[in-house]
Formats: sequence, C-alpha cells, structure tokens
Amino acid sequence: MSTYISKRLIYMLIILLAASLLVFSLYALTPGDFISGNLKLSPERKAELREIYGLNQPLLERYFIWMKNALHGDFGYSLAQQTPVLTLFNQYIWNSFLLAIVSTFMTWLIAVIIGVNAAYKQYSWFDTLVMVGTFAAMSIPSFFIGLFLIKVLAVDLKWLPPGGMLATGSNATGLAYLREVVHHMTLPVIVMTLLGLGSLTRYFRSNMIDVIKQDYIRTARAKGLTERKVLFTHALRNALLPAITLVGFELPALFGGSLIIEKIFNWPGIGQLYMQSFGLRDYPLLVGFTMLIAVLTVIGTLLSDILYHIADPRVKL
Amino acid sequence: MRKGAILLVSLLVGSSLLLNACSDSQDDAIPPSSSTTAKGGAVTETKVSTEQAAAQNIKASDLSKLPDIAKQRTDTIIVGLTDPSGAFVPYFTQSGYDGNVNSQLQASLVTTDNEGVPVPELAEKWDISADNLTITYHLRKNLKFSDGSPVTSDDVAFTWTILHDKAYAGDTPIDVVHVKGGADYKAGKASTVTGIKVIDPLTISVTLDQPNATALTTLGGPVLSKAYYGKDYKFGQLDYIKKLYLAPVGTGPYKLEKFIPGQEVRFVANEYYYKGIPKTKHFIYKTSEGDTWQYLETGEIDFASFSATQENIDKLKGLGFVNVIPYTPSTYGYLQVNLEHEQLKDKKVRQAITYGLDRQSIYVDAAQGAGEVANIPSSPISWAYTQDGINPYKYDPEKAKQLLDEAGWKVGSSGIREKNGKKLTLHYLGFKSKSTDIFIPIAKENFQAIGIDFQPEVFADFNALVSKVESKDYDLASFSTPMLSDPSDGLSMFLPTGEVKGYDNPKFIELYNKALATSDIEARKRTYKEIFQLINDELPVIFTNYKKTVYGYNGRIENLSISPFNGISSSLPEWSLSK
Repeated sequence: MSTYISKRLIYMLIILLAASLLVFSLYALTPGDFISGNLKLSPERKAELREIYGLNQPLLERYFIWMKNALHGDFGYSLAQQTPVLTLFNQYIWNSFLLAIVSTFMTWLIAVIIGVNAAYKQYSWFDTLVMVGTFAAMSIPSFFIGLFLIKVLAVDLKWLPPGGMLATGSNATGLAYLREVVHHMTLPVIVMTLLGLGSLTRYFRSNMIDVIKQDYIRTARAKGLTERKVLFTHALRNALLPAITLVGFELPALFGGSLIIEKIFNWPGIGQLYMQSFGLRDYPLLVGFTMLIAVLTVIGTLLSDILYHIADPRVKL
Repeated sequence: MRKGAILLVSLLVGSSLLLNACSDSQDDAIPPSSSTTAKGGAVTETKVSTEQAAAQNIKASDLSKLPDIAKQRTDTIIVGLTDPSGAFVPYFTQSGYDGNVNSQLQASLVTTDNEGVPVPELAEKWDISADNLTITYHLRKNLKFSDGSPVTSDDVAFTWTILHDKAYAGDTPIDVVHVKGGADYKAGKASTVTGIKVIDPLTISVTLDQPNATALTTLGGPVLSKAYYGKDYKFGQLDYIKKLYLAPVGTGPYKLEKFIPGQEVRFVANEYYYKGIPKTKHFIYKTSEGDTWQYLETGEIDFASFSATQENIDKLKGLGFVNVIPYTPSTYGYLQVNLEHEQLKDKKVRQAITYGLDRQSIYVDAAQGAGEVANIPSSPISWAYTQDGINPYKYDPEKAKQLLDEAGWKVGSSGIREKNGKKLTLHYLGFKSKSTDIFIPIAKENFQAIGIDFQPEVFADFNALVSKVESKDYDLASFSTPMLSDPSDGLSMFLPTGEVKGYDNPKFIELYNKALATSDIEARKRTYKEIFQLINDELPVIFTNYKKTVYGYNGRIENLSISPFNGISSSLPEWSLSK
C-alpha cells in the first residue's frame, strides 16, 4: 500500500508538471494578450507595458519564472483584478464551494432515495415517471431552468431573491447573516440539484437493479429480514460501492465553481471570475486557477482509488 | 478522471462559447468608464434624440407599483455595475468598472460639460499661455481630502510626477501630452519633472514640449494626496500603491465604506466634499454580472442601463415605476480597412463598399432602433459633431457598382469582380456577438449584389480579433472606439503612428495638429469640421454606427441628470429620494 502510494505520488508530480507546461502554453498562445484589447493605448505605450509585465519574453522563460514563483508559493498578481491570485481564490472559491457542497449533498441524497425506490419498483408507474423526469432534467439547459425559476419565484411571486448572496446593503451578522445567505442560495441550489440529479439517479437505479438480482439478496430475504432492512442494509451498501469512485471525482467540481449558474444568479464565485479573466487574458489568474483544478483532479483520482480499496478489499492496488 | 477531466476541458475550450454571453451582457450594465482620468459611464438627452422617436425621456406612470424593498430605502441609492474589482486608486485602475467607482471617490481638477467642453472642478480656473505651452491651474481655496487634510499644489505635482515613473503601468495617456522633462524623469536622468512648477500652495503650472489641447483635461484629473500616497514613494517603485487600493483617500462626493468582492461597493457621503455633503447618505454599486432586468424589476437596484431597443423601452414603460432617459455613448463603430492591401488602397473601392453596405438595415432596423448610422469619426454628442458637408453614403448599390467600374474592377464570369486576374474579395473579421450575427448575413448579400466576394471569419473574443488584425491577415475588421472625451481621441488612429496602418495624409496631420494647437473651442470646431469632411471623403476606415442606450431608474430619485461624458457622477451628489 505505502509503496503504491509513493509511486502514485511520483506519477502525480510528473503529471502536474506536464499539465502546468501545457496549461501555461495554451493560455499564453491564445491569440491576443492582456494589453492588446486596450484600444486607448498607443503602440509605443503597448510595447512599454508588455515590457513592464514581461509579456514580451519568450514563452519558456515566462513559464520558468512562473514555475519558480509558484514553487515559492507565489502564484502571481492578477493583472485585471490587481490583487494577488491566492487572495482572489480565497475571496471567491469558498462562495463557489458553499453552493457546490450543498447541492452535491442534496443531489446524492435525493438520487439515492429515488434511485433505490425506482429500482425496487422497476417498470412501475413510479419508475417510468422517474425515467421521464430524469431525462427531462438532464436535457433542459441550465440557463433556461435558472432564468425560468428567477422569473417565477423571484420576479413574479417574490418568494426568493433574484440573485446575489446577500441583500444589498445588508449589515446582518450571525444568525441573520446565515439566514440571508440560505435565502439567497436556495434558487441556485435547486437548479444545480436538478441538473445533477438525472444522471446520478439513473446510475443508482441501474446499480441497485444489478444488486437486487444477486443471490445474497435472495438469501437475506429467505432469512426473513424485513424488506426495508434487505434494501437499505444489504442491497444499498453494495450498490453504493461503485459510487465511491465518484466521490473523488467530485473534488475538482466542488472548488471549480459553476460558470453558468454563478452568472445567472449573480453569485460571487470563482467560475464567474474565471470567465471574465479569460476575455481579458489575465494570465496569472487563468493559469493559477486551471492548475488548482488540475491538482484537485489528480488528488481526487488518487482519493477514489484508495477509497475503493478500503471499501472493497478485493480491489488490489 | 471523468468529471475532473470534463471540467478541465470545459475550462480550457468551452469557455470561449460563453464569452459572447459575457460581452453581450455589457449592453445591459453601466458602460465601463472611458479612462481612469475621465469619468464613468455616460448618458444624455441629446440633440440627436430629435431624430429618433423611440428614445425620449419617459416619466414613471405609477409610482405605487414600486416594489416594497425599494420603498423601504430612505437614505441609500443602489446602482448596478458589472464588475468592480477593487483597485480604487485613479490612474492605477485596470478595469473600467473601477474607474466608475473612482469617479465617485475622486473629483478632478477639470471636468467637462455636456458637450465635452472643459469646465472647472477642483481648479477654479486656469490660464493657458499665448504659445499654448504652459497651463497654470488655480486650485479652489479650502479644498480637503476625505481624511481632512488640505489639497495643495504639492499634491498635484506629486500626481503628475508618478505618472512619469518608469514603473507606472496604468493607462493614462501621459506620453501623448509631452510634459517638458517628463521623458528625462522616466529615463532616470532627472530627479524631478522640470516642466512642473509649484508657484504657491494653490497655484501650479505645467509646461509642455509641444502644444496639446487635450493636456488640460489629461493633466486635470483627480489629485492624489502626497502625504498619503506619496510617503513611501521612491523612483521606479510603485508597488506600495497596491496596498492602498482598498483604503482610498479622495476629494469626491463619497468615501469608500466597504468593498465586498463580487458583490458590492458601499459608499458613504464625504463630509469634506467641496460642494457640500451629498444629499443621500449611502450609495452602493451592486455587482451585477449578466442581466440586470430582474434587479430593477424587484427593486434591488435603482438604476440600470439597457440597449435602446423598442422592446426594452416598452418593457421599461410597462414597469410603471421607472423613469427612462436615452443616452448615446461617446463612441463610434467602424470597419477597419487594411490599407496595405492593394485593392483597398483605392479610395473609390472604399467608397463603393460604404455605398454598397446597407448600414441602415444592419445597425438601425435590425437593432430595433438601438443605433444610428455613423459617417464621421465623432460621436453625435460631442461639441465638434457636424453634418455640414458630410456625405451620408445612403445605401446605393448602383452607385457602388459604378465606382467599382471606375476603379477598374469588372464583373468576371463567376459574377465576382476582377482586375488584372485578381478577384475582389473581402476577408472580414468580427468577434462573436449579437451585432456580428446580424452583420454577416446582410453584408454577404449586399456585397454579393455588387460583385464582391465576402469571406467572414468570427473570433471567440475581442483580444483574439485584435491579435489577428495585428498580423495583418484581413481586409475589414469590426471595431468600436473606447469612450472618447476630446474630439482628437477619435482621430489619433489615423496618424502615421496610429492603429490604422498605411494611411499617411499630410493634410490630415496638419489639420490634426492645428486643432490641438489652440484651446479656442470655436477655432477647433472649424478645424474639426474640415477634418471630418476630409475623412468622410477619404474613408480610411468605413464608419458604421453609433450605439443607443437608455437608462431606467427608480421614479423616486430626484435631481437625476446624466452628463454624456461624466455619467452619473456629476449629478449624483444631488440625487435624493422623495417620500
């Protein structure tokens, strides 16, 4: 196990190194740079600014400077936001994380309940309804559901705020603050849950159907256990096993923010910030954020492999 | 790797798909500030509005429809702003939205009136020497920064000096002004900028190497407190200013109360403001990415800007509780022409393209009235604007064909015009946006009708377009100017050093310099008229359109007026909420 982990860690480093070069080059080679979009500048001034920002250096040199600073914990200074990249992450990522963790939790919870029930009553009217519902939820674009719910729940009925994270100008603290945030995050969480629900429900349903047909379930029933116990202790645990791998893969999504949802609901998250930075070619922020996602992806993969091994000792590492 | 990999790929590749959504959204938010020295977004009830039935001032019809949340606010006004990023020091701000924030925190030495003519603000007056080389600013008495300290000429001198520092990375066009000794200071050859002279605590003069009428406003920007922003200053070292971004000290109507990244910028009235404390105690810029409709409708914000389409205007009217005012931004749209390509060097071909393009359909009709056809390099709200002696180039495919025939381009067997065995093709570059989507199909049809092969290419975003234009592989490229404050701003691209490569007209250069060599507005007006007539005939670029927008705001706000060049900031201190 420990040799396995150390071997994996070395692979991880190599992968990340390669990824960083790739990511850095991709952004640096995208046509246009931070300066070119500013039409107010004279050509001489543009040249001067490229000199100040080091944008006129060869690609590899820029990469090595960035890498050297990154290894010292300095991920650079956002050109457009005029703030250190790590400070920006700290300001925005937690807002994204809050949305993601709550909606992921809700998605899993609801998906397990619906999936198990649909599997148990396979081909019943409930199952058919779930199938139709999940396909519908999967195929409606997020911006449509988002805008539709804003129109109905926020603008027409005025039950929920149309966007943002706090009531404008609010000085709420403590519990009142918490209540305000919950109030504001309800809509985006509903939309994110709806969107994630479809595929996960189908996943649990099919796993569950496989498990229910196994001999040990028949044995459990033959022992005279209650149906509830058979389903939720014996069947569900085995059906959840393959899902454990999914947990690791959720990791980058938890911190990556959601570009569309955050934009529609005006949520101060990292996804929105990333989108703006792309249009502006704000390299330090772009490279820093993409590398963060790369690191989380690699860690997430390792995590799911280890979790799988723990959950199912038959799986050799 | 499944989900993570998908996320990574979508970050790298898919983001381009979303970019147009972002650029479109700017239609609905307050336009970013033109420059860090000039002030924020802009609006007007302009002289052109007579030509346009749709856009007029509309009063709220039924204030009782105002949402409760807006009724409950008694000393706070909230305005939507796309994305302030938190660098609140004028001259150093990189985002135009921070420029909007700065314009509430800072007053300038000199501001501009509704036609862009310079008028006093912190400076009560100024003198310009007979040779137009020396400007002397006279500060008002008893001016104070928001920390209570006095504003003096030393502060002005300090502000001008750091703009000449070699580490200065902002976008104030100080190099264009040519302050005497500025270049030496920047090169480290002198310890002061020799052209800057503090005469007494309220009087300061600046000497230029060559006359420049824009110097008065470029140098007449906000004043940075030397005691506050200058205490750590050493030549070549400006990084320390970054630490002060979120603790600004200024001379404007409001002080920064709190900045919540991605959410709000909160202001509180500045008791030291030279015109007296603003009428409404609190002011908030609410970050509103994307659509702002729902915030105005639910009363979360009091003021928002929209494209002046008939649909938007009707919807605003329908809300009942908003007042509507039209606004033409101080910009113009154009197609940059690659003058280094043989076929476009001929003026007749450029004129033929202009005649042959149905600009009325593309920019006015298809945009539901949210636009107007442009024919000169000036916004209709500028004091220099004129239609006198200007060819409107009304859509006329016959005239276009005739001009192309005269230029020697004859219709070939394929229906495309040819000259010396070369086909007349136009390689067009645009970036993904609603207006490009409208432009391409109509232009393709228009050009086909006059025998030109039109080959459009669309880029994901603006920076990519600019970089392709810099590589010179294009014939036409779609652009719009940034916010123009002085008429010369809209013309500098035609200079040999400007963006439009290959246009070298001594007559233009002479007139350009002549217009800048005097500060007499009437004399400048005459010269600009000559320039506009010249450019309108020569067409070094093909003028396309002016944009039209409208502002909708809470009908309870009183004393709201919008100046075309300074946006809301000139009247904001006067805004008050009626009961």
